[in-house]
Amino acid sequence: MGSRASTLLREEEIEEIKKETGFSHSQITRLYSRFTSLDKGENGTLSREDFQRIPELAINPLGDRIINAFFPEGEDQVNFRGFMRTLAHFRPIEDNEKNKNAAPSEPLNSRTNKLLFAFRLYDLDRDDKISRDELLQVLRMMVGVNISDEQLGSIADRTIQEADTNGDNSISFNEFMKVLEKVDVEQKMSIRFLH
Amino acid sequence: LEEARRKSKNRRAKPQRKAKKTSDDEEDEDEDESPRKRGRKKKKRDSDEDEDDEDRSTKKGSKASRKKKAKDESEEESEEDNKKKKNGRNGGGKGASKKTKEEQNKDKKGKGNGKDKGKDKGKDKGGDKKKKGRYHVSYIQGIVYFKPLEEAQEFVERFEGALGKGKGRKWYAYKVMMTKILMGLPYGSIARKTVPRAEQDTAMDFSVLFDFNGYCKYSFIFYGYYNNDRMVGVLKFRLPLSYLLVGVGIFGYSLMVVVRTMARNSNEGGEGAEEGEFTFSWKMFTSWDYLIGNPETADNKYASITTSFKESIVDEQENQKDENIHLRRFLRVLANFMILCSLGGSGFLIYYVVKRSQDFAEMDNKELSWLEKNEVEFVMSLLGLVCPPLFETIAELEDYHPRIALKWQLGRIFALFLGNLYTFLFALFDEVNAKLEKEKVIKNETIWALNEYYANYSSFHNTTDIPPPNVHPADVVRGPCWETGVGIEFVKLIVSDMQVTYLTILIGDFARAVIVRFLNYCWCWDLEAGFPSYGEFDISGNVLGLVFNQGMIWMGAFYAPGLVGLNVLRLLTSMYYQCWAVMSCNVPHERVFKASRSNNFYMGLLLLVLFLSLLPVVYTIMTLPPSFDCGPFSGQEKMYDVVMETIENDLPAFIGNIFTYATNPGLIMPAVLLMILALYYLNTTSKGYQQANLDLKRKMQMARDEEKNRRNNKDSTNQVMKDLEALLPDRSLAPPPEEEEEPPPEVVVEKVAKSPKTKKKKGEKGEVDLQKEVSLAAENPKGPVTRAPGSRGAPAGNAKGTQPGKERSRGGASK
Repeated sequence: MGSRASTLLREEEIEEIKKETGFSHSQITRLYSRFTSLDKGENGTLSREDFQRIPELAINPLGDRIINAFFPEGEDQVNFRGFMRTLAHFRPIEDNEKNKNAAPSEPLNSRTNKLLFAFRLYDLDRDDKISRDELLQVLRMMVGVNISDEQLGSIADRTIQEADTNGDNSISFNEFMKVLEKVDVEQKMSIRFLH
Repeated sequence: LEEARRKSKNRRAKPQRKAKKTSDDEEDEDEDESPRKRGRKKKKRDSDEDEDDEDRSTKKGSKASRKKKAKDESEEESEEDNKKKKNGRNGGGKGASKKTKEEQNKDKKGKGNGKDKGKDKGKDKGGDKKKKGRYHVSYIQGIVYFKPLEEAQEFVERFEGALGKGKGRKWYAYKVMMTKILMGLPYGSIARKTVPRAEQDTAMDFSVLFDFNGYCKYSFIFYGYYNNDRMVGVLKFRLPLSYLLVGVGIFGYSLMVVVRTMARNSNEGGEGAEEGEFTFSWKMFTSWDYLIGNPETADNKYASITTSFKESIVDEQENQKDENIHLRRFLRVLANFMILCSLGGSGFLIYYVVKRSQDFAEMDNKELSWLEKNEVEFVMSLLGLVCPPLFETIAELEDYHPRIALKWQLGRIFALFLGNLYTFLFALFDEVNAKLEKEKVIKNETIWALNEYYANYSSFHNTTDIPPPNVHPADVVRGPCWETGVGIEFVKLIVSDMQVTYLTILIGDFARAVIVRFLNYCWCWDLEAGFPSYGEFDISGNVLGLVFNQGMIWMGAFYAPGLVGLNVLRLLTSMYYQCWAVMSCNVPHERVFKASRSNNFYMGLLLLVLFLSLLPVVYTIMTLPPSFDCGPFSGQEKMYDVVMETIENDLPAFIGNIFTYATNPGLIMPAVLLMILALYYLNTTSKGYQQANLDLKRKMQMARDEEKNRRNNKDSTNQVMKDLEALLPDRSLAPPPEEEEEPPPEVVVEKVAKSPKTKKKKGEKGEVDLQKEVSLAAENPKGPVTRAPGSRGAPAGNAKGTQPGKERSRGGASK
């Protein structure tokens, strides 16, 4: 853990982050220590290389895309606020929150927002649709050269057929949500804190 | 790869081993008390003589056997001391010097220890893996079907299948070896334990040993060795009774273990049954495990994802085939007929060969070639080798889904083995009867000779106090011991089976791989891709082989107790051997399918084999008379008389009465009836629960759909209305043509045929629900996945015009 007086977390910052993301005090400090341990350059921001040092991300086929999700458009460095903003999607949903119906602004870690995060990993061109080509790209990353291109194409087509309901040959966000409605996303896409 | 696997396995295995070790230490402490005390404890335990106590003392015996050799020797010495002090029953045998006795004992101990050590390792792994076996298999299923892990699965299944069940056998073997060696008479002290004079010349020849005659025959490996004294040694260990009870107890224990495993399996099978709707999408979006940090594991995960995609593709293809029912049926009937013929042929062949071997037995041993002597076993193993591929080629006619074809194949191999085994048994039976006849003759002769001796002696020395004839044990006339004969046959069978397996692997896999690899450079066509190529690792065939090996052990263990130890050794060696063979010479299957989902299938087979191997043994215990001069039951009318004797003599009178009452047919019949009724009742309730489960699932689905509809503000939330509309195939009757346009029944049928699981779920439901499922879920394409679906063009265009989110363009109009 670095001990750089200039970049220590101030109470006001913690409060702001708390309001924005909903993490608790201790969770924020815990994540801050993780942030600083990743920050090898000790300048208070993370670059893409810092993320790629994490083994789980390095071997993940979608690793690069996940890393990209942390960085705002066109930038190469992310500070702690940005880091937390992205991580907010993975905050575990507490029980008392589940019962609240439509909050004025949906919290960042609602199921819909979690799924939106995942959706954006696949939808590279940000047109709110996962097209056949994007699926093919993902398939190629997941499976590589072990399956012929023709078969990959058919798998992609089949996936679209399963999910597509409005016939536009691509998967919209609603269709994506429908596909994953039986998957326990709230539990799977959440950081498991120890307390 | 392997390291990671082994590490994870070891991690799991460690806590268990630790638990065992601590209990071991406790045991050790117990046993550290003076030998006398220990003796007394054991004695008390033995005098109870229930099966439970047998098992417990077996356990103690087994734990005891794991002590270091030094301790063993001290045990032995104390035994010797006790024997000397109490002047045990070894009256006649005391002629041999104490030193030789000790040597003999140590020899046997050495052998026993060697085997024990082997079993130790096996038992450790078996113990660990047995409990974790289930977990391992599902863990491995979850990971990958990649080649190394196919081998690992076999690794696990071998252990689980063989050593897990083998626990009972090991304990039995421990007990047999430890206690009987300790407390029985050493070699050479009495007649039955010695090689007859005639055979002594050849007894040590390797060929004779190899045939399990000679010294082997008269060793503790076989039945004939054991004395029939009611109680043996200082501790009054009831040898015959324990032999019988342990023999029967093995079966009971194995039965329990198998059934328990099956029950556990079927409970776990309920998970993962939920798929069906979004197979490909889920595979696409959710198959990666984000917690993987190790590159090797990542590679495995890649491979597993690949395999799972491939399997889905295969599944799809299978459902899209064109059907020509009549041709198929004809071909299937033809195939079955051919297979029946070959089964019959193999049975006949075995019978013929066994008959021939009986003729050979009449002839002098030296004139027969090795082939002729081992003909039976050779033929059986060969049949087991040749027929399965034959069945497979015939089965190509049938054209089933791979999973179903596999089940058929396994069933047929099962029938083959069963037929062979039972034919073998029947032929053996004839042999046994022949031996019994011979025995009668010899018995008469012996009695006559003895009478002669007494007459001579009394007339010569003129005394009435006649000492027993002072004949060297080797010269006593010996009857043929049919039990040992049977034991020998089984042992030979297993050995030849093992030899054939090893040879097959060596030639069929290794030599083939070498040839393909090196000859490929100078051959006209591509050997690797084309004809011979590399061998595939046949999981199911191997598992089946294990199952049958186990069956043979179960059958033979009663007559040849040493068989168990032999088999453990064989299993260990063959596991390492096959491990190496798979890693170096085999490639994974081309067609990929989850054969391992049918774990209960193999357990069921094992159970069946257990029953079938139980039958002959129990039959012989009940009907055939034991030989008069060998084995623990010699001199009795029937083997189970020992139990009767014990009940009469050792247990209090009222227990004897209870047994008499309990074995009354009038009591047994109602008990059997009651059990049948209970079975029926339980079966019905379980069916009822299954039905209730399905209904609940259906209700949950409907509730969810209702909510969806309400949320999405569909105008018709009434499922029944929708379904009624759906039942009308005629479009003119339905409201707006694109809305709720239901596909013609064929597509629905397609969806039902898609996955057998869905079919089962929907089988009982009416058509109403079918339609509902279809209307909400994505459609199943009519073409196989390898073809891109081109049929969506027209209706998609049509549908776009109408309200979004409402119509479901089926493409049903255009097929």
